[in-house]
Amino acid sequence: MMALAPRLQDVAKPLLRVAPVAAVAVGLIVGAFLFANVSPAVALSTLATSAFGTPQGFSKTLEETAPLLIAGIAVFVALKAGLFNIGVEGQLLVGAFAAALAGQHFRGSVGVLACLLAGMAAGLIWALPAGLIKALRNGHEVITTIMLNNIAVLTTQYLAGGPFKDPTSQSPRTVPIDASVAMPSFHVGSQLMVSPALVIGLALVVGISVWLFRTVAGYELRATGANPTAAKFAGVNAKTMIVYSMGASGAIGGLAGALQVLAFKGQFYDGFSPGYGFTGLGVALLAGNSPLGLLPSALLFGALAKGATSMQSLLGVPKGITYVVMGLLIVTYAVVRYRKAVAHD
Amino acid sequence: MISDALSNLVFQTVILASPLILAALGGYFSERSGVVNIALEGKMLMAACLSTVVVIHTQSPWLSLAAGILAATVFSGVHWMMTQVYRIDAVVSGMAINAISLGGSNFVNSKMIDPRYSGPMPYFWAGALWAIAMAAPALVWAYSRWTRSGLRLMAVGSDPDKARTMGVNPLWVRCLALAGTGLLCGLSGTLIASNAGSFQDNMTAGRGYIALAALILGGWRPVPTALACLAFGLFQAIELSLQGTVRIPSQAWNSLPYLVAILAIAGFSAKNRAPAGTGKL
Repeated sequence: MMALAPRLQDVAKPLLRVAPVAAVAVGLIVGAFLFANVSPAVALSTLATSAFGTPQGFSKTLEETAPLLIAGIAVFVALKAGLFNIGVEGQLLVGAFAAALAGQHFRGSVGVLACLLAGMAAGLIWALPAGLIKALRNGHEVITTIMLNNIAVLTTQYLAGGPFKDPTSQSPRTVPIDASVAMPSFHVGSQLMVSPALVIGLALVVGISVWLFRTVAGYELRATGANPTAAKFAGVNAKTMIVYSMGASGAIGGLAGALQVLAFKGQFYDGFSPGYGFTGLGVALLAGNSPLGLLPSALLFGALAKGATSMQSLLGVPKGITYVVMGLLIVTYAVVRYRKAVAHD
Repeated sequence: MISDALSNLVFQTVILASPLILAALGGYFSERSGVVNIALEGKMLMAACLSTVVVIHTQSPWLSLAAGILAATVFSGVHWMMTQVYRIDAVVSGMAINAISLGGSNFVNSKMIDPRYSGPMPYFWAGALWAIAMAAPALVWAYSRWTRSGLRLMAVGSDPDKARTMGVNPLWVRCLALAGTGLLCGLSGTLIASNAGSFQDNMTAGRGYIALAALILGGWRPVPTALACLAFGLFQAIELSLQGTVRIPSQAWNSLPYLVAILAIAGFSAKNRAPAGTGKL
């Protein structure tokens, strides 16, 4: 019985470790608000009321949450196999671009499916080199995905401004998708708007939970992430699992981009993603062990994105504050989680 | 005429490659000590931002250079704290640093730099930084091959446990190595701002990642790394001088360093030139 009760020092140690970091993080954010001549209390209340206070505001928060949730799922799937897919940003871009092209040529519900599949295929293809290089040549996936991100930005920029540019537009953007493949938001109650993208994201969380924790493939994937050597001795083909998880992650990243086109934007343009993939990394890192953790985590970053817009327009707080908050949140959380075990402790 | 064009090309290459060389050598120190560094970009960005703030408010080139170096070194110190004291994964902490720099420089820029400012901006003399960038690779090579602390740096990066049994403290070596990363990223960021003559949001525009690509391509060795940077600089200089005359989209040129880096990782990793102790504590 004694062994089951948590000892004081087991609880106190992580707390002691996290306290100074959290204090510095809070101090920096408070300091930033004071520096911008805004009372932190006013800033916080502006953020909360604009993100959650009105049905319109909350609808906007949910709109921001949808791509972050799906991008977060993409990062999460790779993370479970022990891979950092920093490339979700690039996979999202090529997915969005592919869906925007497919949307010009396909019609109706078959067209919607075609667009989503095109987006997923593009994301999958964009992630595969990273997975294959990791599995076959042991090249670090962080480096390859960073490079693939930059190539994705440049490639989609070129395509949207060159061969696939909308001739009627001044800026680099594609021809808008057909109205029949758009996925408009629908009313829940009288004023709240919910987008199909968010519904798909929620379904995906459930699906991924089942896949990871109730199927053999999911178990093997997690085993690979926990300890590749042990997994290999248990008969898991770790190389295959690395390619699978990277591919799945890329396909989900592509889906996030495709849904963003169908549900909200209606076309692809240069500067399509304000860093959804990178914020998705924050979403997944803060989610903890369970896919269900992605929901509050994505909502938090969605609210931050919505709140930051209001703080900028109402209080003049620069938008960069959201990235600062995200970085500090990751650091604070990582102090107790993403730690490395040391043998000589 | 032709020699004019040639010397112009050489000059452009030096201008474009110098920030890359400085940043890549910064990455060299960090990665050779065993800390994967994807945060070069963030450190350079913060240096570019603060050196510009200081140059506008004090009109002093030296203080501007000092501010740039200080900014990058503080971020590098935070990186050391996170990876070595708190033992957070180097990639996670690197991402966090990049996020904080991207947001923080936007914040500082919009609060401390008047967009209508049009007075003089006496940045630190870029010529001196170009010269440093050209001389640094050989110096770094000699340092890590011939000096006591350089050999310790290599030892810690290859096998921290063995280094420890030899009486070398990896924590301290990495602290110095990351200070070196901060110094070089500070020089690089200041140079980028000074080359452009102002600060814009996200103005490093992926150059920290190109530097990382060069480091990989150079097999984590200073001189080949610098040659890779010069090659990337030359590509860009050729692109600039051909602009409008040849129908190759600029995006294709700009993708080249990234593509080459991926091929390098795919081709060379089997031989694995990366420091053996990368990520070990």
